[in-house]
Amino acid sequence: MHLSILESGTEEKRSPNSEWRRVVRGLRKSPLAVLGSVIIGILIAMAIFAPFLAPYSPTKMRLSERLSPPSSRHIFGTDDVGRDILSRVIYGSRISLRICTVVVGLTIGIGTILGVTAGYLGGWVDELIMRISDVFLAFPALILAMAIAAALGPSLDNVILAMVVIWWPRYARVARGQVLVLREIDYMVAAKALGVSGCRTFIHHILPNCISPIIIQATLDLGEVLLTAATLSFIGFGAQPPTPEWGAMISLGRNYLRDNWWYATFPGLAILVTVMGFNLLGDAARDVLDPRLRRSP
Amino acid sequence: MLRRSLLVMLSVALVAAFSLTVLASSEDGVLVFGATGELRTLDPHVSVDNNAWRAIYYCYDRLVEFKLGTTELVPGLATSWDIADDGLTYTFHLREGIKFIDGTPFNAEAVKFNFDRLFAMGLAPAGTFGFVDKVEVVDDYAVNFVLKEAFIPGISSFATDQGCIVSPGVMEHDVAGDWGQDWLAEHSAGTGPFFVDEWTHGVRVVLARNDSYWGEPAKLEKVSIRYIPEAADLRMLLETGEVDIGEKLTVDQIEAMKGTSGITVFEAPSFCCHYVYMNCQRPYLNDVRVRQAISYAVNYDGIINDLWRGTATQMRGPIPVGLVGHDENVFQYQQDLEKARELLADAGYPGGGFTLKIMHAPVIPEWRPMALVIQEGLAEIGIKLEIESYAWATLRDKLNTGDFDMSHGYWTPDYADADMFTWYWFYSQNWGLAGNRSWYKNVVMDKLVTQSRIEVDPDKRLALFQGIQWISVGDAAYLYLLQANYQIVMRDWVKGYVYNPMLLNMPNFPGMYIEK
Amino acid sequence: MIIPIVLGVLSITFLISHIVPGDAAQLMAGPRATPEIIERIRRESGLDRPLYVQFGMYISELFKGDLGKSILTRRPVLADIVDYFPATFELTTVAMLFTVIVGIPLGIISAVHKDKILDQLSRLGSVIGVSMPIFWLGLLLMLFFYVRLGILPGPGRITGEPPAHITGLFILDSVLTGNWRALVDSLSHLVMPAFVLGYAVLARVVRMMRSSMLDVFSQDYIQTARAKGLREGSVIRKHALRNALIPTLTVIGLSYGELLGGAVATELIFAWPGMAHYVVGSMRTLDFPAVMGVTLVIALVYILVNLLVDISYAFIDPRIRY
Repeated sequence: MHLSILESGTEEKRSPNSEWRRVVRGLRKSPLAVLGSVIIGILIAMAIFAPFLAPYSPTKMRLSERLSPPSSRHIFGTDDVGRDILSRVIYGSRISLRICTVVVGLTIGIGTILGVTAGYLGGWVDELIMRISDVFLAFPALILAMAIAAALGPSLDNVILAMVVIWWPRYARVARGQVLVLREIDYMVAAKALGVSGCRTFIHHILPNCISPIIIQATLDLGEVLLTAATLSFIGFGAQPPTPEWGAMISLGRNYLRDNWWYATFPGLAILVTVMGFNLLGDAARDVLDPRLRRSP
Repeated sequence: MLRRSLLVMLSVALVAAFSLTVLASSEDGVLVFGATGELRTLDPHVSVDNNAWRAIYYCYDRLVEFKLGTTELVPGLATSWDIADDGLTYTFHLREGIKFIDGTPFNAEAVKFNFDRLFAMGLAPAGTFGFVDKVEVVDDYAVNFVLKEAFIPGISSFATDQGCIVSPGVMEHDVAGDWGQDWLAEHSAGTGPFFVDEWTHGVRVVLARNDSYWGEPAKLEKVSIRYIPEAADLRMLLETGEVDIGEKLTVDQIEAMKGTSGITVFEAPSFCCHYVYMNCQRPYLNDVRVRQAISYAVNYDGIINDLWRGTATQMRGPIPVGLVGHDENVFQYQQDLEKARELLADAGYPGGGFTLKIMHAPVIPEWRPMALVIQEGLAEIGIKLEIESYAWATLRDKLNTGDFDMSHGYWTPDYADADMFTWYWFYSQNWGLAGNRSWYKNVVMDKLVTQSRIEVDPDKRLALFQGIQWISVGDAAYLYLLQANYQIVMRDWVKGYVYNPMLLNMPNFPGMYIEK
Repeated sequence: MIIPIVLGVLSITFLISHIVPGDAAQLMAGPRATPEIIERIRRESGLDRPLYVQFGMYISELFKGDLGKSILTRRPVLADIVDYFPATFELTTVAMLFTVIVGIPLGIISAVHKDKILDQLSRLGSVIGVSMPIFWLGLLLMLFFYVRLGILPGPGRITGEPPAHITGLFILDSVLTGNWRALVDSLSHLVMPAFVLGYAVLARVVRMMRSSMLDVFSQDYIQTARAKGLREGSVIRKHALRNALIPTLTVIGLSYGELLGGAVATELIFAWPGMAHYVVGSMRTLDFPAVMGVTLVIALVYILVNLLVDISYAFIDPRIRY
């Protein structure tokens, strides 16, 4: 009973729901954000319907047709072992989405738990977690990822693991920051005074309020995650053949760029467009939520 | 602010345009070699890397040398040599009146110093002379090598990069008993036609002509070996003429450059063999029928004609064409899926139904597509092949510990003898990196390969090699894929290039020149 | 504060480097080395000792200024870094200058024309940059400007003779020695890699500049200045810019880390003999003393750059005094 009083009192100011509505409203006004959403929509559709969209199997080789230029038979041409590049780009969307969702999902999970714990408990726990996150933030991200991938052996799973290891502190920081703000807010103090259990406060108040800044951060990160994974694959620490990963495709295609431009170009465009989609969306979402911009004329 | 930034951008563009006039002004006496591999040390007693040998080799001389373009041995720093009847002692008679570039005289003591240094440091190049027991100075210009056991091909080891004779003067640079390693890693101290003039790490090594060379002086004033990590970049530089000659480009790149005006592609057979190790100690692969089935399942034509675009020859047993001992009648596997399936069924795996893994390393870009073709062939007979790529060091470690099913590999001989392919590949004491990378053991084979090392009669030796080749094909411990052609791309104005199959990646800089 | 972070960075790298399934001693000995040779090297390099002892040894050597020896070059890692660092530093610094010089005006334009077509264009342009796979853009540009058009030089830092070695920074060295040919040569080699690298972080600067300008615009004193009848241009220059620069500076400092990361791909594509390039080579061959050294230096540079950014606030914002 007493809780409902608390909630109604804060609904207007801090409800994640109203915040979301505002974000969606804001996004609809921005043409760039709409463009971003469309791109991501297409990507997801491509990943889901890959078997229906791809004209060939992404791994079927035809040595006699290797390095064929784009034609009606192979719209994006073929690669150095005669696989259809269009089909590989289409199936590659699955790999990209998998990398993005797993990395961002795991980092959000780990980061939020650690961040909220740090912020809520404070004291030495906070100190410890934050110092560890400092270390990871001072690390040149790509180099750490390379070291992990080199150490564990190159594979997509190890790339994902490496990226989770370098990315979690960002979310830990965001989550902790939110908790610290919330801790000072009256209703938390009130909740404490009223003897609401810590756990309850945590689940009902702290977590929901952390979610929106974290989602924004995640949207912004998705593009970077994808690009980092592609870079790792490019250097040779990522996806293994015959996985149709876009970065790996560019890496293999780079020696062919001079004579067989299609090999590296289409996967390159796929990365560019997809990352751009994530970035446009993330950018717009951030603008809408940026408190300093709200006041602007 | 805006105007200023525009100004800056404009001036950058101007600078760039202006720079064109400065570009491409290479001098005639300087050869620019583009290398995609980076060298790490210039010490011949440390390095076992062709990229470094390219820079090292012509800064030194050796007791014996390969005759230009052949595997035949001719006098070098030694004017002649005798091999004792029991094959246990080599005596070298040394050339007189030669000085190292640092002024130290060359004599028997200097030769002994080199082998002392090599063995005391005990690094990989020392392994090439593992058959040497001790080195004795006979007089100022004669030196004896006493061997642990007779070793027929031993003499040609002295012509390899590991046999470079370094000046004893390097001991002046000795730091804490390191035999001058730190210093020699970045300098040269030989009697050769060139010396190391400059090494800017990660950029280039510049060799300059040794004007006091005792033999015929080099034609070029300088050789600048530029490090270009990306093959795509190297190709661009060759096309614009900024680089005169370079390697390695991919087969497809070279194929595309053939016929480009101003570009010459040199191509010749080499002893470089690409093959696949099949770990005989692993389940499935420990059955000879499975290994034979795999050998029948591979699309050799696709690999050689499509991937390698015909710039390779399918291997016929372990000894490559061109080496004495090669038997052109040895059985050669061809893709025969029916036969492969039968053999699998014989072995108790009708329809396959098991999974194997194959390792490759991205440093050899040809391996990945080859692995894909093998994967496809094995899929036809029901074997699932997973491809794994590893860092070079990790791959080697796994080979050495036997922690793999199948792996890509290549082999180039250190000395021009079939022994490099038989003893190393099949002797069961050589399991792991040493050479028997299929972890193969056959008692008969063990006898044959050790016998062939010491057999003095050439005809008997040939018969031994023949036996080895037939057994090795039947036992199918390796997947005998291909013997690659050596290809190098150069500008038309590069003259005097002579290829030597024993000195892969090490062009004859002293004889080369530029004629524009 | 710096020391514990650096120690943390080092211990993580060290840990990672020792779970690698590659035998460092085997690596040092090279192929076809006998087991005795390998065993001796293992003993001499202390590779047979427990991990924490090895780490302790490393740290104590570190405090003496010794970063250890590279497994492959057998040279002191510090010497290698001294060779490779200037190239990276020059590249990232020029890339950063590019970002600042282009990014700040773009941000201002965006802010002044908020939500109009110019704003959308400048944002789209910078978002494309941050979304572009660096290695792909680098390849395309080189193919076009070097091979096709021939108006920009190809891979590498310089085509002709490098300037006399003083600092290792080619621009600085050629200015110091008055070697104008080398200056032009090395500057023209910087155009593409610096552009590619800088373009990747441009979006952050534009975005930050735009939002802080908008923030400043809404402040009372700007409204006052406008009310006084000052022209818009002078309002922006005299009042808004200074205040908007501070948050942008922070972002630039943070972006430096990303530049260092982006340098990996850039250096590979442009055959740039820098540290990132060196570290990729070391990583591929599992030469971990080299990897540790580079990680240390990069972490230090990153921390220092951010410290510098903090200090530079004092010059821009008179309210902050150190």
